[in-house]
Amino acid sequence: MHFLFLVTVLVYLAAGIFQLLYLTIGERSETPTLRPRIALIAFWGTCLGFALLTLFIVLWWSRQGHFPMKHWTDSTAFFAWAITLIYLIVVRVTQLRAIGSLVIPGAFITILISYSFSRNTSALPENLETYWLVPHITLIFLAYAAFFTAFGFGLLYLMAEKKIRQKTNTIFHNLFPSLGASDELGYRCTILGVILLTIGIIVGALLTQYIKDLTWRWLDSQIFFTFVTWVIYVVQISVRQLWGWRGRKAAYSEIVGFVAVLCTYIGVNLFLDSTHTFR
Amino acid sequence: MNQIVSIGTSHHVAPVEFREKLAFSEEQLIESLHHLRESHKVDEAVILSTCNRVEVYGVANSQRTAESPIKILLDFLSDYHRISVDTLKKWSYRHHNLDTIQHLFRVTSSLDSMVVGESQILGQVKEAYDFSRSAGGAGAILNRLFAKAFSVGKRIRSETTIATGAVSISYAAVELAKKIFNTLEDKTVAIIGAGEMSELTAKHLVTNGVSKVIVANRTYERAVKIAEKFKGIPIAYEENLNFLIDADIVISSTDAPYYLIERKPLAEIMRKRKHRYMFLIDIAVPRDIEPDVSKINHAFLYNIDDLEAVVASNLKERQQEAVRAEQIVSEEAKRFHDQLQILEVNPTIKALHQQFQQIAETELQACVDKTELSGTQEAAVASMTQAIVKKLLHHPVENLRHAVNDGNADHGQYVHALQELFALDDNDDKEQE
Repeated sequence: MHFLFLVTVLVYLAAGIFQLLYLTIGERSETPTLRPRIALIAFWGTCLGFALLTLFIVLWWSRQGHFPMKHWTDSTAFFAWAITLIYLIVVRVTQLRAIGSLVIPGAFITILISYSFSRNTSALPENLETYWLVPHITLIFLAYAAFFTAFGFGLLYLMAEKKIRQKTNTIFHNLFPSLGASDELGYRCTILGVILLTIGIIVGALLTQYIKDLTWRWLDSQIFFTFVTWVIYVVQISVRQLWGWRGRKAAYSEIVGFVAVLCTYIGVNLFLDSTHTFR
Repeated sequence: MNQIVSIGTSHHVAPVEFREKLAFSEEQLIESLHHLRESHKVDEAVILSTCNRVEVYGVANSQRTAESPIKILLDFLSDYHRISVDTLKKWSYRHHNLDTIQHLFRVTSSLDSMVVGESQILGQVKEAYDFSRSAGGAGAILNRLFAKAFSVGKRIRSETTIATGAVSISYAAVELAKKIFNTLEDKTVAIIGAGEMSELTAKHLVTNGVSKVIVANRTYERAVKIAEKFKGIPIAYEENLNFLIDADIVISSTDAPYYLIERKPLAEIMRKRKHRYMFLIDIAVPRDIEPDVSKINHAFLYNIDDLEAVVASNLKERQQEAVRAEQIVSEEAKRFHDQLQILEVNPTIKALHQQFQQIAETELQACVDKTELSGTQEAAVASMTQAIVKKLLHHPVENLRHAVNDGNADHGQYVHALQELFALDDNDDKEQE
């Protein structure tokens, strides 16, 4: 079990390195032959990592006997899984590989955090052992992953725009998706995230109806901050529709939005108390 | 032995006044290919005639013709086009064996072209080769050579960046547009003023998917005239630049002595078009577009110098890549040359083996018939004869192969000697190659 997890972490490390190489070896002259190979290794490495991680989560689930979502280990591993899933969908739909260079190293860091806590296990409070918990948490983590991908597209946009404005013309520059593509995909990921998050919150609210001793508390810090995040993204979408805030402004708000997500996820877990803490 | 030779002239060595004298029309091509073959002086020939180069490739067997094959081609061109041999020598290059192979590989890789990495030459050579083949010019060796030359040309283009990056202003503009817009398909381009460069750029944009063209000019008649070329919408403008609201790509090349598009009005236009991206190309001198326009969000301004810098950096990149491409070409040429030579000696080696084998078998049979050998004894004698044949042939064959690989030794002489000494006849094998 532990060994499987270690292998998964190492595969993710390798995939992350190759994903990064894909963007950064740009200036060398032998790249035309090298880059397709690197892209191939990066992509299939990521697929392999994803398969191993899925296997690990399934085994972990069956060993614990309940949906593994109590400890940091569980949630970060699941987050990495969600990020990779969204990445694979984006590549499948758009054929744009560049996003992997930002997103997969991110997934590796998350899974590394997970691994470093992996010796701890803790049981779920009995009253939370319900299958409603599965869609609630799955949806919310997929939403986070979508926001992370939008954040990645925001960064890609800013880097590419800088290159175009500086009027430098390099191969490195040619690897970026067009500004229009980065902008559009960042927007779509944001919308996907908002939809998933909204359903996730509704499922969470329903949970309070079915579980004894669990009441909807607005002052639960996690709920509060999740709402803040939700509002940030909804405002971002509306402003884009109304006033045409696209491009750079959209990129910045995708970055701000993801920082809010991080605050909700890490900040609340580390410093505040809530039903939602993973400890 | 077969020799591959070529004689040719190109923009590198001769002015157009000379190249046009050497050019072949289609009828002339057929006629000359026939003539070359009929004269029995060369076995195979391919003639390549484009606006930048005229080249004749030939294969001749040195055993059959006493003349040097290069001289045959030289005399042929001089006779056919009525140019003195001396003039021809002055304005042309002549290659022999390995040099011919390397030269053709450089041509198909576009390393010998005016713009390194251009894409047309491969098609032109293919056409010339197909033509010569259907006219009965190319045979076994040139077929092999040209097939290899095309694959080397493709390899160079895929393994080096020699053919990437725009090397003209208009293509650079198209490439930049592709970096800005997700797709060009539903986009609108506006041309302000007239000019060859802006029309060319608009043309390239249309071939790349741009669907709508607006042609703006101070006088309506001129706008109509230019718009006809693109099925565009003609517009006469005064001070009002509102037609820019629909324009995603703006190409400006008027001779106005002041800024036609200024920051403030454009910012207002950008607001009206909901801040969709606008790519502005200013190819006018003096400039038409205020440089501060580039500070507007989502407006990307490139002037003529910026585009030229892009082109210059692409050209530099291609030149650097050309060095690497030359290396690949040399390696491929050397390998191909060696393979050809091995093919040349193979029939002789095969014939030698056959002859020895045959003698051994006949003698073995005679011996078996005469004496009464047991099964094991017969097997022992048979394997002994095999061993003798193998050992007798070992050194001659090895040395022949060495002579092939060592470029200095004349393996042709060896082959000739072997054929004479052992009365070999390898012509049948050769035809099959």
